[in-house]
Amino acid sequence: MTRRDFIYKWLIYGLALLPVWWLDTYILNRVPLLGVSPVLLPLAAVAVAVQEGAVAGAGFGLAVGLLCSAVYAGSSGGIVLGVCLIGWGAGAAAQYVLSQNFGGCLLCSMCGLAGLDAARILTRLLNGAGDFSAMLRLAGLEILWSMAFVFFIYSWFRRVRRQIAKFLRL
Amino acid sequence: MKDFLRNNGLLILIIAALLAVLTGVGSVFLRGTANPLSNVLNVVATPVRDGLSWLAHQTEAIYNYAFEYDALKEENERLRKENADLAATAREGEAASRENERLRQLLGLREKRSDIELEAASVTARSTSNWTSTLTISKGSAEDVAVGDCVIDAASNLVGVVSEVGVNWSTLITVTDASLDMGGLVSRTECAAIVEGDFSLMSQGKLKLTYLPDNADVAAGDQILTSGRGGVYPSGLVVGSVESVLTDPSGMTRYAVLTPAADLDSLIEVFVIKSFNIVE
Repeated sequence: MTRRDFIYKWLIYGLALLPVWWLDTYILNRVPLLGVSPVLLPLAAVAVAVQEGAVAGAGFGLAVGLLCSAVYAGSSGGIVLGVCLIGWGAGAAAQYVLSQNFGGCLLCSMCGLAGLDAARILTRLLNGAGDFSAMLRLAGLEILWSMAFVFFIYSWFRRVRRQIAKFLRL
Repeated sequence: MKDFLRNNGLLILIIAALLAVLTGVGSVFLRGTANPLSNVLNVVATPVRDGLSWLAHQTEAIYNYAFEYDALKEENERLRKENADLAATAREGEAASRENERLRQLLGLREKRSDIELEAASVTARSTSNWTSTLTISKGSAEDVAVGDCVIDAASNLVGVVSEVGVNWSTLITVTDASLDMGGLVSRTECAAIVEGDFSLMSQGKLKLTYLPDNADVAAGDQILTSGRGGVYPSGLVVGSVESVLTDPSGMTRYAVLTPAADLDSLIEVFVIKSFNIVE
């Protein structure tokens, strides 16, 4: 793959992220289920990581993390590292332990979201804010509701990957 | 293991860690001013969000006209009656005000006044995280909106407090957000307490009135106002009404569950209180 192909590839992935961001930030948060909206951006990082591997997953995760830090109100810099780690971990797990398919993506998405929420709960507990059982309930609902979108996100990025391969004749 | 990490994105992870530290430290030092990345992204997105929000509003108006005409007609009649009643109350109020002014002059008391500078803004986006309750509005530092400014709706109901300011946008935490706390006052009995968001009530769109004195007279339906103590927030803004009064799990203290007066789910236009000078 030439440098030009590399740039085109990640530019297309970046463009493919826009509708997911739009859906996450402007549409789905208007129709919460039991007061909870799904979280799609980390799922996008996992979907790309599972298909592209650990290094690409970490890179894309870093970009998605920066986007999350910019769009999710009240998020600290920790989310940049968190999503980057999720991308890296999902890529490595799918590459070496699981398989690079929907099953691997499903498992990695669940672990990734659980990791993010665990970090959030821990931070709030350390700051002495929030009731543990209420936070646990919220995290559970958020993960369950978000998992309903894994198939959609995975299919979307698989389709994008195929289009990239066709476009760049890889 | 070292080779595995070197070949598998250790550099990217280090960059991510550095960016995380930079963003975290930046947000501490910027004290509510949006970080450059967030600012650029939102400056670009604000006009698009404004357009979309206008489109959504127009679509809703057309839908209401087409499918809820009878309900709107009924509501219009009810509002006309309510308007007539309010006009009568206002006339009585004016007379009482004049009398009050006269008596104050006789007693040599200072005049009660409230100078509030408002900035109208439209709501362009809603909470983007399940862990906070926020709204994004279309005015920012270019219009002198600052962190800590109170935001109200058209009926002077408290919507929230500005928490982050960009150039042409701001984010506010709503009254139901778990991180909000301010002085509150029971309108009927003038009993002071603390209004605060609660994590378990946030998803239901409710909040709490805590630190109630032992002898506090609070009942369902009571209106809660901001107390304005400390001078940080203006007094007299309607926060909400008491839904129920409960005893906390320890059995030692009571708290009240409040329903916000502002309809946070369907707000279109809000007003930022940029400065205030209330003399009680």
